[in-house]
Amino acid sequence: MAATGDEAAAMDSISREPTAVSAGLVTAASGVPQAERSDDPPETPSSAPKKPGTNSDGGVETAEEAVEPAEPDIDELCSDMFEKMAIFLQGELTATCEDYLLLENMNKLTSLKYMEMKDISVNISRNLQDLNNKYASLQPYLDQINKIEEQVSALEQAAYKLDAYSKKLEARFKKLEKR
Amino acid sequence: MASADSQPRFGQSVKGLLSDKVGSCSGDVIALTRQVLKGSRSQELLGQAARNMVIQEDAILHSEDSLRKMSIITTHLQYQQEAIQKK
Repeated sequence: MAATGDEAAAMDSISREPTAVSAGLVTAASGVPQAERSDDPPETPSSAPKKPGTNSDGGVETAEEAVEPAEPDIDELCSDMFEKMAIFLQGELTATCEDYLLLENMNKLTSLKYMEMKDISVNISRNLQDLNNKYASLQPYLDQINKIEEQVSALEQAAYKLDAYSKKLEARFKKLEKR
Repeated sequence: MASADSQPRFGQSVKGLLSDKVGSCSGDVIALTRQVLKGSRSQELLGQAARNMVIQEDAILHSEDSLRKMSIITTHLQYQQEAIQKK
């Protein structure tokens, strides 16, 4: 019977310990400064890290939950991690965006170049049309020049024929004169 | 992309498990981002477009030079036509 009483006391002690552990967790989560913990960890039973172990009081083995003490700068580390992750991902995506921007700028410059060439082509086309119109107004004169040139050629041929005939006539005259 | 460390590790602290999990999740996110960029084939297409642009630039410059010469010749023809008309 004494052993039964001891077992009951052990069970009571076991039932009380998890509540103490949870109380310690709540205290840590609320942001209670745990500076003393780093100096004297084994002193405060509520804030000390409880290692998984067995409680073999009264011959009953129990296991305790392993609880890590919350670090005071965990939030800062987490935010730092997410910020750096965001910066890295942004950099990965920015590289492709920069390539697209480069291609866009190249396209814009090419379009400007084509616009300049278009302006030059338009000017050339207008000038050539004016020139064609002016040459059309000069066409009668050019036709007259062609006719004159043909007549001059015909006159030249006639002159050559006359020259040849006159030379023949001269030769015959001299021959007759010698007789 | 599933983490290879999905099996629970016994004998490892919660902190270690958490840090491993966070590391694996970060790696998965990075791999996902790179796969998305790789699947879009944007690098290949942009590189090909840049190469074509460089090749085209030479032809564009030659064409522009020819057009400028043509404009000069047209101007000379105009001067000659005006001289003919005056005479």
